[in-house]
Amino acid sequence: MTDNSKAPSRRAALKTLAGGAAAAATLPLWARYTHAQTAEPIRIGFQVHRTGIGAAYGRWYDRTTQAATRLINDAGGINGRPVEIVAEDDGTDPKRGAEVVEKFASQHNCDIAFGTLFSHVVIGSAPRAGELKLPYFVVSEGHHVASGMLNRYTLQPGITDVKSQVQAMAPFVMENLGKKVTLIFPDYAYGHDHRDFFSAAVEAQGGEVLAKLAIPPTETSFTKYFPKIPRDTEVIYHVMVGPAVLTFVKEMGEFFGGRGPELFGFIDSLEAIAINSPGLEFLEGTHFWEGMPRHAQPDQSEYDKFYRAQVGLNDRGASLNDPTDVSTYGHMFGCWETLYTVKQGMEAAGYRGPQDRAALIEAVEAMSIIPHSNEHPQGPKVFNGKTHQVFGQQHISRIENGNLVKVHTTSIEDTFYPDEVDYTKQPF
Amino acid sequence: MLVRTALFALVLALACLPSPVWAHASEQGFVLLLPTEIYTAAGVATVGLTIVLLAILPAWVAARLFRPIRLVALPRFALHHITSCLSAGVLAFLVLRGVVGPHDPMVNPLPLFIWVVWWVVMVALQGLLGNHWRWTNPWTGPAAVLARLTGSRPMVRYRSRWGHVPGLVIFLGFAAFLLADPAPTDPHRLAWVVGGYWYLTLMGITLFGPRWLLRGEALSILMRAYARVGLLGRMRGRVAMGLWGWQGLARPKVSTGLAVFIILMLGVGSFDGINETFLWMGFIGVNPLEFPGRSAVVVQNLVGMLVANIALLGIFACCLALGDRLAGTRRPVLDAVRLFAPTLLPIALAYHIAHYVTVFLVDGQYVLAYLTDPLNTGADLLGLGHFHVTTGFLNTPGTVRAIWLSQAGVVVAGHVIAILMAHVLALRWHGNNLRAIIAQAPLAIFMIGYTFFGLWLLASPRGV
Repeated sequence: MTDNSKAPSRRAALKTLAGGAAAAATLPLWARYTHAQTAEPIRIGFQVHRTGIGAAYGRWYDRTTQAATRLINDAGGINGRPVEIVAEDDGTDPKRGAEVVEKFASQHNCDIAFGTLFSHVVIGSAPRAGELKLPYFVVSEGHHVASGMLNRYTLQPGITDVKSQVQAMAPFVMENLGKKVTLIFPDYAYGHDHRDFFSAAVEAQGGEVLAKLAIPPTETSFTKYFPKIPRDTEVIYHVMVGPAVLTFVKEMGEFFGGRGPELFGFIDSLEAIAINSPGLEFLEGTHFWEGMPRHAQPDQSEYDKFYRAQVGLNDRGASLNDPTDVSTYGHMFGCWETLYTVKQGMEAAGYRGPQDRAALIEAVEAMSIIPHSNEHPQGPKVFNGKTHQVFGQQHISRIENGNLVKVHTTSIEDTFYPDEVDYTKQPF
Repeated sequence: MLVRTALFALVLALACLPSPVWAHASEQGFVLLLPTEIYTAAGVATVGLTIVLLAILPAWVAARLFRPIRLVALPRFALHHITSCLSAGVLAFLVLRGVVGPHDPMVNPLPLFIWVVWWVVMVALQGLLGNHWRWTNPWTGPAAVLARLTGSRPMVRYRSRWGHVPGLVIFLGFAAFLLADPAPTDPHRLAWVVGGYWYLTLMGITLFGPRWLLRGEALSILMRAYARVGLLGRMRGRVAMGLWGWQGLARPKVSTGLAVFIILMLGVGSFDGINETFLWMGFIGVNPLEFPGRSAVVVQNLVGMLVANIALLGIFACCLALGDRLAGTRRPVLDAVRLFAPTLLPIALAYHIAHYVTVFLVDGQYVLAYLTDPLNTGADLLGLGHFHVTTGFLNTPGTVRAIWLSQAGVVVAGHVIAILMAHVLALRWHGNNLRAIIAQAPLAIFMIGYTFFGLWLLASPRGV
C-alpha cells in the first residue's frame, strides 16, 4: 500500500483544478515553461485508432487531442513542462493495443497512456497497463471501467458510461414517448448491453418491454423483422450500428410510412453522418440520445462555443474546412476533457515523473465535482474515485427540419447507479 | 496450431465480454442505399455486349483497336541509373524516418510513401501509363554503381530452370504482409521490412546479376507485368501510344512462371476485397461490427489468400482447357495459360485502382499534409492553408455515388479490355473467327462472372 498521507486532499485537487489554468494563463509567455530548458516534456502516449474499424473515430479523437494539447501548451503546459503527444496506431486491435501500451511504458518513456475508444481494445490493453503500472486514461464510454472488470491504473474521467446513459434516458422515454417498448438491437455484446440496461430501467419506471428483436450483425436488409414489432408498441428503442444502419432507418421509415410508433435511438448510429442526409428523412420527429449536442443550441454555453472554435467546427458539428465532414461530436469531447483532467491531476499531485504515477492516480481519485468550463465543455460532472468513472448530464434531442434540437437534459443524479467496485482498495 | 488456438481463445473471450463497440456507418452505408443491383446489371451487360459485338464484327476490328501510334523518338541519353540512385536515396531517407520519426502511420512518411504513393499510386500509374519503374526503381542504379566500383561480376549463375519461383515465393510473402500482417503500416516495423528487403534484393543482384530483378524480385516482376498494359511504350526506336494492352499483344506469350505470377496478382487483388466483406467475416465467424483486429485473423487471411489463388488458377486453366476442347484444337493447356494469362492484367489493374480509390482520396491528404510540413515545424510549403484531412465526401450521397460509379466504370473497362485482348489472341491462335469465338466462350463466361464478382465486391457491406 502507498502512504496515503502523501496523497493530496480532495480540496487541494479542486483548488488546483479551479485556479491552475487561470494562473498559468496570466503568466507571460517567456515564463510559462519554467523549466523548459531543463525539463523533459510530459509525454502522453495516445493510443489512437488510426487504422481498422475505429479509424473514423480515431481521426476526430486525434483532432480534438491536438487542439487541447495546443491550448494546454499555450497556457504553459503541465507543471511548467510542455506536453508531447506520442501517437501510436493500435489498428483498433486488442492484441496490438496491449503492445502499444507496452511501447508507451518501455520504449517511449511515456508518463501515461490515453485516448482509447473501442471497448475491446480497452479490455485488451488495460491488464498490461496495470502490470506495467502505467496510468491508462480511456475515452471509451464502456461500462467495463465502472463494472470493476479492469484495474486501479485504468480510469475514465472524461466520458460517461453507457449504463448511466441508458438509465438516465428511460424516465424521459416513459413519460413522453410511451410505456410499451420494443427493442431493436444488434445481436452481440453492444446490443445486449443496451437490451439489459434499458429493459431494467423501463421496468423500474413501470413500463413494459413488449419485444426484444435481436438482429444478426451481418444483416443488411431489415424488412422481414418489422412485422415482428407488436402492434401495441408505443416506442421503438433502436441502437443499430454499422454500414447497414442507413438501410435500417430507410426500411423502417418505409414500413411505418410516418404512422408508426415513436422512435428513440442513440446518436452512435449516426455519428459522423449529416442528420439531414437524403435517406434519413424518416427520422424527422424522432428522438436521439446525445452525449454532447452536435448542433449548437439556442442556450449554447460559452464553453461549447470555445470548444468548437478551437477544434475547428461549425454550429452543425462539422469541420470549418469542409462542412460535409461531420465530426464524432457525441464522443470526442472526452479526449479534450480527459487531457484537462490529467493536467489537473498532475498539478494536484505535483507530478514530476513516472515515480509519481501512483500519486497521479490518487489525485484523480480525489476529484469529485468538475465544473462546466472551457476545460469541460460538455457539462458539469461528478467523478467517482472509487469506480474510476465520471458521471454527467445527458441530452435528448429531437430531429426537427433536419436539425438536432435538444428537448431534455438529465440531471447528473439521474445517471448514478450503485458502485460496483472500489478500485481505491486495490494496491498499486 | 498453438497460435491459432490462442487467437481463437482471444476472439472467444472478447465475444463473451460486455463490450459496447461502435462500427461506423461510413461510406459503405450510403453505397448500400444506392441501386447497385441496377448498376451491376448494366456493368455485366456491357461486358456481355462486348463479347456479342466481337462475335458479329469482322475479325480485324479488335486488332485495329490496339494498333499504337508512334510518337516522339526515344531520347538518346539514359538517365535511369541516376534516377534510380535518387529513388534509392529517397527510400533510405524514408526508412530512416521510419526508424526515428513519428510513430503515427499517418504522420510518418515511410508508411505514407510505401502504401499510398508507391503501392496505390505508382503501381496504378505503371499500369495506366507505362514503365516508369525503369527510372523509379531503387535498385538498378545502386547495383550499377556497385558493379562499377567493385568491378565484380555475378558470383552465381541464375539457372533458367529456377524460372520465376523465387519471384512467386517473394510475391506471396509480400501479399501475406499486405493482407495478413497485424501492423503493416507501423513505421518501425515497416522500416525493417522495407530496408531489409531493399538490402536483400541488392544482395540478390550482386549474387545473381540483373537477372534477379527479372526472376526473383517480386515487385519488379509485378511492375514489369503492369507495364505491359500501359498506354505508353517503345516501338521501333520511338515512344508509342495505344489502347491499354497493346504492348501485351505485341509480345503475348509469357513463361509459365510469369503466367502464374500474373494470375496470382489478380488472385491477391481479389482476395484483398473479399476479406473485408460481411460475407467473408460471417464465413470465418467474426462479427464485422466488432472486428477483433487484424491480429485475430492472420491465419484466416493467409489460408483464404492461398485458397483464392489456387481456385483462380484452377478455374482459369479449366476455362481454357474447356475452350480448347470445344474448338477441337487439342493444344496443351499450359500453352493456352501462357498466352492468355496476360489478358488478366487489365482486370488486376482495374481491381487495384477501384479498391484503392478511397484510400487514395483519404490517405493522399495525409501525404499532402506531410509534404506541406515535412519537418513538423508548422511550415506550409504547398500553400494549403489551415489544413485538416476530410472524409466528408465519403459521407455525402452525391460524392459516394460518383466514387462508386467511377470504381465500377474502372472494373467494367478492365474487363472489356481483357476481353478485347483475349479475342485478338484467340484469333491469332485459332486462325478463324468462329473457332476463336467457340474456344473463347468459357473464358468469356468467366470474365462476365468476374465482372459481376468485382461489382458485387464494391457494393457489398464491409467490416473494416
